[in-house]
Amino acid sequence: MSTTPEPGRRPLAASAIDALILDTTPWLSCEACFDQMDTYVEAVLHDPAHEDPAMAAHLRGCPACAEEADALIDLITGIPG
Amino acid sequence: MSRDDSVPVGVSPPRDNGSRGTGGDPQDWVVALATPGPGQDDAMRRLHALMVRAAAHQVWRMRAALPDPSPHAVDDLANQAADEAMTALLRKLHTFQGRSRFSTWAFKFAILQAATEVRRIQWQHREVELRDLEIEAPAHDGPDQISEARDLGTAVTRAMRTCLTPHQRRVAIALLVDGVPIDVLADRLGSTRGALYKTVHDVRVRLRTELVATGHLPATAPFSTSAGTP
Repeated sequence: MSTTPEPGRRPLAASAIDALILDTTPWLSCEACFDQMDTYVEAVLHDPAHEDPAMAAHLRGCPACAEEADALIDLITGIPG
Repeated sequence: MSRDDSVPVGVSPPRDNGSRGTGGDPQDWVVALATPGPGQDDAMRRLHALMVRAAAHQVWRMRAALPDPSPHAVDDLANQAADEAMTALLRKLHTFQGRSRFSTWAFKFAILQAATEVRRIQWQHREVELRDLEIEAPAHDGPDQISEARDLGTAVTRAMRTCLTPHQRRVAIALLVDGVPIDVLADRLGSTRGALYKTVHDVRVRLRTELVATGHLPATAPFSTSAGTP
């Protein structure tokens, strides 16, 4: 059965569904993420198996913080931006 | 741990830093930056160079989002972001506890400022639409779409209508459906990245709780789910 969205309404993409129901627990705020980002990045670079569930959950759920963490890793490892 | 800028095992020093014991960077950045005198002036110059380098790195990473991605424009934007980031860092200088290299700690201020500024410029002429209850469940007439995806999409849409407040729906739709950057939305709403992320986190918890209750998600769901594989 086919459905046609009403004018002005848009279908929910699969990627949006994923983003909406992503598990971002344990809770970590953006402020705490920023506070810990330097130590987290150095810990990950020192030990790729380093685990920080709250930080990892936050970076999965916050694209802005994730981009900034990736950029910090690239910067201190010498990967060109 | 001391507040010096020693390099942790396994972490490469920044490129062209030229400072790790040979470039003349302060042994204790906090003291050097906080103590008036010639040493402070030198530390400020060295810190500014770090900030410019990190800001330029970030702006260059995101240059495709800029209306003018020329090297000159990137350089101007990086310097502006570095100046603002340095001000923010100096306000927080007393909080540096030496748990990372000082340069790593400093870089994050410049990266945050530069990324936020690029996103602001990217969206400066774009309207941010705050939609509510205008979303549809995924269309389901494609041959490759499976019933589970259909059911999950419908359930998510229903849960958004029944379990979320209008504010939560608008924020969730703007950030997670329409892809508005969180800094941009925060700026338009007079809010903060942290406050909006908290809203999104609460949205996710409410939706997941409802979807578990209706059997669309297992109670012990993995961290990330794919649509169609509840």
